[in-house]
Amino acid sequence: MSQALEYFQFVLAPQMLNGLTIGVAVVLVAIGLSVIFGLLDVVNMAHGEFYALGAYISTALYALGVDFWFALLLAPLIMLPIGYAIERGLIQRVYQHEQRHILTLLLTVGLSIVLQDAFDLVFGPNTLRPDNPIPGVTEFFGIYIPNYRLFLLGAGAVVVTGTWLVIFRTRLGAMIRAAAFDRDMSASLGVPVLRVYAGTFAFGVALAGLAGVLLAPIYSVFPTMGHDFVLLAFTAVIVGGIGSFQGAVIAGLLLTQIQAISSLFISPHWTEPLVFGIMVAVLVVRPQGLFAWVGRG
Amino acid sequence: MSDSVESRPGAAAGRKRPGGPFRHVGARGVAGIFLVAALVFAAVGAAAGNVFYLRLGTEALILSGLAMSVDLLLGYTGLLSLGQAMFFGLGAYASAVLLRDYHTGFWGALVLTELLVVPVAVVAGAIAIRARGVYFILITFGLAQVIGKVIYNTRWLGGSDGMVGIPVVHAPFGIFRLDLGNPVSFFLLVLAIVAVLYVALGYLMNTPFGRTLGAIRSNESRVRYLGFDPWRYKLAAYVLAGMLAAFSGALYPMLRGFVSPELMSFSMSADAVIMVILGGVGTLIGPIYGSVILIGLKTLISGWTEHHQIAIGIIFMLAVIFMPRGLIGLVARRASRVVRPEADQ
Repeated sequence: MSQALEYFQFVLAPQMLNGLTIGVAVVLVAIGLSVIFGLLDVVNMAHGEFYALGAYISTALYALGVDFWFALLLAPLIMLPIGYAIERGLIQRVYQHEQRHILTLLLTVGLSIVLQDAFDLVFGPNTLRPDNPIPGVTEFFGIYIPNYRLFLLGAGAVVVTGTWLVIFRTRLGAMIRAAAFDRDMSASLGVPVLRVYAGTFAFGVALAGLAGVLLAPIYSVFPTMGHDFVLLAFTAVIVGGIGSFQGAVIAGLLLTQIQAISSLFISPHWTEPLVFGIMVAVLVVRPQGLFAWVGRG
Repeated sequence: MSDSVESRPGAAAGRKRPGGPFRHVGARGVAGIFLVAALVFAAVGAAAGNVFYLRLGTEALILSGLAMSVDLLLGYTGLLSLGQAMFFGLGAYASAVLLRDYHTGFWGALVLTELLVVPVAVVAGAIAIRARGVYFILITFGLAQVIGKVIYNTRWLGGSDGMVGIPVVHAPFGIFRLDLGNPVSFFLLVLAIVAVLYVALGYLMNTPFGRTLGAIRSNESRVRYLGFDPWRYKLAAYVLAGMLAAFSGALYPMLRGFVSPELMSFSMSADAVIMVILGGVGTLIGPIYGSVILIGLKTLISGWTEHHQIAIGIIFMLAVIFMPRGLIGLVARRASRVVRPEADQ
């Protein structure tokens, strides 16, 4: 009995907590992806780079003497007009094309290539490590948790709930969903569809930026930081079911738990193929996603 | 060099046969010009003894095989693969292991690589094609990422360093054999291979099989109503594209003497798509030009700055928006403009 408890306390629980932190990180990135993918039907391959952009903007702000809390507010606000301009300038140009899925995807691939190299050009290829704004650890029943990770769990919950409230419980959100559901009908009812699309994209981009600011103190900042993350975020969105927020959240947390716990038994190198295998299996067996039934509002 | 070639061929070819279907006449003319330009390049390179540019040209030709495989899927079947470098990299690694550790020689490496890749392509294709639309794209993307990471973490395959010391081989052709250490003969060999592949694929796309692929691209459900099974055709196209990419990949270690995980990285897959878009989707010759243009651009821009990806990415996005049919599309349009008044006479 005590042996099992010790195993839990010193092996399993820290591993699960670690997985939970990664899970919250994945959910934070996936939530913006889910907005853009689920509502605009655009596969944003540059989403990881927007996440990195948020992190880089925060490090630039710190260098200017801005503190963490203000940067947390400011970085997403800076990214809103960037996202808006990118949607109007790039995505919208091919949005009416019959092959818009492929064309928008190609544009975002180009964008990710440009952004990744731009980070390298402006900030250098080296890894930047912002200071931890909330140092120290807290003890729970003999398990030590860094304070910043605790904060991250709370912040993740706030961001997810806030996004859900905006999309499903506000007039703006209703307009966004209406424009996504039936473009022509919404337009004839007076919804400024083009601006709503651009605004939705900007919203998703700002969410990625927010994730970047929040995660930079843990995962540090380097040009390809987003690229490594985006596949896991896509996996969460797909396994959860397109357009299902709760699905993406559950899937993100579940997949990272599987990854964390399985890495106790198999080489960590094989956890990624395992998680990807789950995504493939879901796509083949249940293309609508595992948690689509959880509801869309 | 290739830039001066771009503007002429379609117009010239179009004028010769005003009544014919421009696209094919144009494409054939453009292909002919490419062949001549490549031979001139080889002659100049041989005369100047410039090994660097000859090898770079050979690399561009090898990559054009990868680009053609993307075009086979995107331009002829309507499937975008964002992970085609997976097959290129698998081919390169397989050939490297076969050449270095099993001394199979030129033909042995090529044939065994294909035998190894076909089952992988069948399994990967069977999974990816089951998923529709954007999910196909995401699966090809994810599959390449995951396989790439597995190779990256496999110490037996050199891990992140890759494998070096691939021996220089000879390519025996019955009565004579080519020394692949000689950059001119390797260039000419790869040129011949690409030419054969281009003609063979062009022929295949005009057979009922190729036409069915085109029909699937235009309207899959109608093809199904006509009694064809689109899934089988798509799988065949996917396996064929995988074999083509692996074949090109198998040539790579023979040229460079090493392989590295970058060969199956996302940027490699993206490069292949960029080549196809720049050159012209669904033309087969476009990707060959696209490959030369991309390698040329990278080399050119690298002379000024190491950040060539910014320029390449911007050019690619502009091409997607303003030039969706690629350079060959521009040439064909110009050709038809030249031809129309003559046809009226």
